[in-house]
Amino acid sequence: MHKILTSAVAAAMVISAPFAASAQDWTPPGPITMMIGFAAGGGADTQARLVASAIEDATGWTILPEQVPGNSGLNLAAALRDAPADGTAIGMVVTETLAYNAVREGNSDLQFDQFTMLATTAAFQLGLVAMAEGDFASWDDVEAAAAAGTPIRFGTATERQADMAYHMSQGSGIDFNIVQVAGGSEIMNGLRAGDLDIGWVAGAQAGPVQSGEMVNIATAIPTPLAESPDAPSITDLGSEFYLDGYFMFIAPGGLPDDARQALAQAISDALTTPETEANTLVNRAFGGPAILTGAELDGYMQSAVEAASNLMEAVN
Amino acid sequence: MDYVLLGIQAVFNGPPMFSILGVGVPAALVMLFLGLLTGIAVGATPGLAGPMAMAVSLPILISIFGVRPEALLPVFGFLIGIMKGATVGGAVPAILFNTPGTPDAFMTTLDGYPMTRRGMPMRALKVAHISSVSGDTVSDIVLFVCAPFLAVLVERFLDLPEKTSLIILSLSFIAAVMGSSVGKGLISISLGMIAALVATGEEFHPRLTLGVDEISRGFPLVAAVLGVLILGEIFKSFEDLWRGPAVEVDTIEPEHRDKDGLMRGDIRRIAPHIARSSAIGTVIGALPGVGSTLAATLGYTFGASAHRRRKTSEQKDFGEGAPEGIAATEAANSAVSGANLIPVLSLGIPGNAAAVFLILAADSIGGFNPGPAVFNFTRPAVNPELVVAFGIFTLMAVGNFLNWTIGGVFMRSMGIMARVPIRYLLPVVLLVTMTAIYVQETSFVSLWIAFGFGILGYLFRRLDISVLPFVIAFILTGSLERTARQAFSASGGDPLFLFQSWTSITFLALAVVSVAVLGRRDGPGASKKARVEKS
Repeated sequence: MHKILTSAVAAAMVISAPFAASAQDWTPPGPITMMIGFAAGGGADTQARLVASAIEDATGWTILPEQVPGNSGLNLAAALRDAPADGTAIGMVVTETLAYNAVREGNSDLQFDQFTMLATTAAFQLGLVAMAEGDFASWDDVEAAAAAGTPIRFGTATERQADMAYHMSQGSGIDFNIVQVAGGSEIMNGLRAGDLDIGWVAGAQAGPVQSGEMVNIATAIPTPLAESPDAPSITDLGSEFYLDGYFMFIAPGGLPDDARQALAQAISDALTTPETEANTLVNRAFGGPAILTGAELDGYMQSAVEAASNLMEAVN
Repeated sequence: MDYVLLGIQAVFNGPPMFSILGVGVPAALVMLFLGLLTGIAVGATPGLAGPMAMAVSLPILISIFGVRPEALLPVFGFLIGIMKGATVGGAVPAILFNTPGTPDAFMTTLDGYPMTRRGMPMRALKVAHISSVSGDTVSDIVLFVCAPFLAVLVERFLDLPEKTSLIILSLSFIAAVMGSSVGKGLISISLGMIAALVATGEEFHPRLTLGVDEISRGFPLVAAVLGVLILGEIFKSFEDLWRGPAVEVDTIEPEHRDKDGLMRGDIRRIAPHIARSSAIGTVIGALPGVGSTLAATLGYTFGASAHRRRKTSEQKDFGEGAPEGIAATEAANSAVSGANLIPVLSLGIPGNAAAVFLILAADSIGGFNPGPAVFNFTRPAVNPELVVAFGIFTLMAVGNFLNWTIGGVFMRSMGIMARVPIRYLLPVVLLVTMTAIYVQETSFVSLWIAFGFGILGYLFRRLDISVLPFVIAFILTGSLERTARQAFSASGGDPLFLFQSWTSITFLALAVVSVAVLGRRDGPGASKKARVEKS
């Protein structure tokens, strides 16, 4: 959120520059600002900060994490758009920031072709989560509660998740009270505190589910969830779409190719090198690293934008 | 229980700062120690106060330790050190020179200075030290016990609408008790809320920015808070300096005595006063928005009436140099500091300026969001925020220990700070504050924003409007809007969502009552003033 004493940074750069130069062909021309589009302290924020630490340790570059939350990543996109395209500004968002929110918001400056995709880090392990001991511990319980007239509070963290919650109620005929909160960890806090009944969580639920505190009452991705392989798919419960996606680093549009490759490589190394804290975290809470870069990533984004338009059509 | 151990470990096994004889000294403890010394020095300097030092040091600390989660405890260590040190240090110039170092030490001058004139400055300082640290310790213990308990209670029994009402109640209460009148308190709160509403909310387009791109992400928290709190105060002090000569420090040489220091039976004499005032200070501290000055006044007033009934004929009256008077004041104002963190840690509601800066620190570094979710004992994996919370408790306990031991010695050597003229002090503080803001925001715009808020803070002070409600509203408005929105949608769009449960209705009723009742009669704020003037 806040930048750091420039002189200290300058000093750090002077110390680290010779080392970095010998380690990499491309070096950033200054400290790298890493914007993080998520609330401080959540799973995604931790992931971004650990990747930053791992890159710093491996390359000697200086990375300054900065919180730019809000508007489901679009605040970050707007801030990053104005940053220099020389590798000194990168941002962590989710694929749906550009492949859904930007499409929905309609601002042509924020579409995904205005940015350089660097690398994905991990895939959403998206489940529909509830407390294991509560009244909504399975889809049957949810349907029974709805039939009994109990209002069901459905926590969502993004526009797309909210649209998907609405799409679920279209398909199942259950009228949800859809509550927008700041992120997956807030949804879990809301479940624990009894402020919410069910909600989408994109991976951070793995631990609580394994320990028996929470339960995935449905999976929202095409592949089974590691911690609950038997959970029914939302496509069997009335949805026509999945809620798949990735955590992803992006840079301003027009980033030179050598910078793009070096940054993508550094991010990928940070996640795949065993024993980095980033690697440990991603394995524990995000189903392991899932890295797309270059043309493969551009192709994924293209198809995700098309899927987004279809969902928006379905809920309007 | 495991978390208590983890918290202690986090402090003692944290990243070492340097090592002595091969044993690493944890950065958190070093910073705590340095903060404590800074705090005592700052508290002993009239014109400077703990919050000012916290404000100025926060950005510098962040630039040293960075924004990784490991930075949390060292930074908190320094801030807590300042907080604890300043409560002790404030008594020094009050006793030696009849000039309170911090506003809440005003009552200390009444008995401390007469004791100095009778040749017992050391005895007075020792009484002040013992009382202050005892009060602080009592208060901290209450905090350690109550905060987790209260937080768990809040999470279990309060739903989203009740949480919304609770924030409304806190804001109303703060408006009612702080400053010279309820009306002014409400003005302060409302302006703070308006400032916080700029460019927030859920819309894709920033609201209320009047098309100004520089504020499209809202007013920067640091610039706004430091502007109102520190720059405003500096501007006001400049005006005071310009208008009239500074108050001369009274330097009458005290009559010389051979024996100075604690006398036999002193501890027994002051013990009941310490106990009473600690209780008063802790209760006052736990209420958001009621400051240590009121606690000191109440402690002194109650102490005086008890003393009058019980004293023997050779003992001095309050106001004539009674050690009991110092004890009653210092224990009360110090007992506020620990309890003041109860609403911060359990509800995320800051009650005073020191708490504001702890929230700022947590917000700048990330990884720790003060509020009820911190005390989640059931989370199966280790809850890092809870470890930090118990780390903070550990730091406070160690801080008290340092205060008991080294603090007393250091404090008694700080008399010299009262002789630093304010006209040299203010420009330095101004420069350091501006640097601090620039360090954290690295944009020139935020300096202008801070300057604007500084003018606002100056106007507030000229109009006798308390600035703290403004700051607290500025911080709380985000959570108020968020919980209100969530409560509204969770209720399925019920416009009467705040009136669906008795708890929520009770909170709202209390909010109305606090404004109406405290407004009609002389609120504690007003009566405090009256009493100070009387005495």
